[in-house]
Amino acid sequence: MNRISIIRAQAIFMSPAVLAATLLILPPLLYVFYTSVYGPALSLAAYGQVLTSKLFRQTLTTTLVVAGLSSLLSLLLGFVVALHLARQPARRRAFLTVLVLLPFWTSVLVKCFAFTVILGREGIINSMLSWIFGIKIQLPLVLNMVGLLVGMTNFLIPLVVLPVLASLLAIDSAIYRAAAIMGAKPARIFWTVTLPMSLPGLLAGLLSIFVMSLGAFIVPSLLGGPQDQMLSSLVAFYNREVLDWQKASAISVVLLGMVFIFAAPLALWRRRKLKA
Amino acid sequence: MSDNIHDPHSRRYHAMGTALAVVIYLFLLAPIVVTIPMAFGPTNALTFPPASYSLDLFKIFFSSPDWLNPLWESIKVALGATALAMLAGAPAGYWIARHEFVGKGLITALIMSPLVIPTIVGALGLYLYFSYLRIGGTTLSLVLGHIIVTLPYVVLMIMAGVHKLDRNLEFGAELMGAGPIRMFFTVVIPQLVPSLLSAGFFAFLISFDEVVISWFLASSNTVTLPVKMFSALEWEVSPVIAAVSTLLTTVSLLACIVAIAFKKATPVDA
Repeated sequence: MNRISIIRAQAIFMSPAVLAATLLILPPLLYVFYTSVYGPALSLAAYGQVLTSKLFRQTLTTTLVVAGLSSLLSLLLGFVVALHLARQPARRRAFLTVLVLLPFWTSVLVKCFAFTVILGREGIINSMLSWIFGIKIQLPLVLNMVGLLVGMTNFLIPLVVLPVLASLLAIDSAIYRAAAIMGAKPARIFWTVTLPMSLPGLLAGLLSIFVMSLGAFIVPSLLGGPQDQMLSSLVAFYNREVLDWQKASAISVVLLGMVFIFAAPLALWRRRKLKA
Repeated sequence: MSDNIHDPHSRRYHAMGTALAVVIYLFLLAPIVVTIPMAFGPTNALTFPPASYSLDLFKIFFSSPDWLNPLWESIKVALGATALAMLAGAPAGYWIARHEFVGKGLITALIMSPLVIPTIVGALGLYLYFSYLRIGGTTLSLVLGHIIVTLPYVVLMIMAGVHKLDRNLEFGAELMGAGPIRMFFTVVIPQLVPSLLSAGFFAFLISFDEVVISWFLASSNTVTLPVKMFSALEWEVSPVIAAVSTLLTTVSLLACIVAIAFKKATPVDA
């Protein structure tokens, strides 16, 4: 192939995607930046108002707390599942992976609906507790922090299991055998081999689900209470209720900034791994 | 891991891990396990397990325009977005996987950026941008908005598919004098069918399930099924939602089965 035909082919192969990226992905982002500074005049006033408002600060704290707690919890539970999957023979592992993949592809709305039924005042958990103890129990498990964390964890675990499983499977099984032959008990093997060797994968998994959960919107809207709302809900609130697009955009830019701060180390780590 | 060395310690340890894992599998599957039986329950109460079984909730769903119109809208939008994302994503995925070119990193990062950018930020941007273009609230705007979220997955899946192919076949076709486009259609596409089909299915599923962007962009006559369901969940939980959930889960299940079938069909395993 000569150079000109390569360039022509490249134009044909790449232009639809480049068009989509430059006409559909970039302009909305630029629009958000533009709207955030463009009021009656060009100014950073919206940022000042947003950053000093009590509502924003509370929501920011909730966002960090919910994202932190739910991603740590999901990592812990996801690690247990990944450890179990890594121990299985290949065929059984393929079957069990489906049990993780199916929730991965289940609509988040279906999960939220299910958890309102499971955790509601007259829901499955409360009915079961009432039946066991013989008295009417109506624990508030949904539309509060409990429901929100349960929903977030259910949503995040499938996202973290697969990358962590990959890092576990990358460990050479000869190391386990060597440790066992040298007399190490399972707990010791876990602390001295499995955990240190899968730590980079665990950290990358944690960071990526933390970034995902920073922008969570559906789960907090449907399973959290009014006081557990996250930054995304604040964007929606300013956009749809207050019709203050400048503030909605300013909050979006702040959220975007937070995502990039936490996603940058992840991107650097992935690049370094690719080079290695 | 080391299953060839057996001692009581490791067995007890593994049994504990397995028990914990089983509880977590159940937790992950709970939403599906709970909603499906309820979809066949009575129309007046949401209890699990249902007191009686019938198809009444599906009858209500399939006879009320309030639910059917959003279903059609979702199908239209998902078909449009899938077709366009495949048209743009398949050739780009192939080219990015096989060639180095100026600006490759930048273009790839831009195409993949919707995977990292919070959906709400993209949704707000699209809403402002489409209002400026005066196409806000139309089915077209929904299709265009959904291209953004489906394109990264299509490109990633096609790239993964291309990496598994034997590049020598492509070199061979070139040596025999086939131009890049002819070579793409006669050598690459036939080998890439499993990847293309699973990318198409997943693009459809992602668009069909998408809530946030649709919720920002839809007007009252372009409401999609997930938007309708989201608004319904925000106000009151009606039993029909169990039927809607089951329909959505069926679509997910189909996509899952298709993906696994095609992963098996691909000769080389990565």
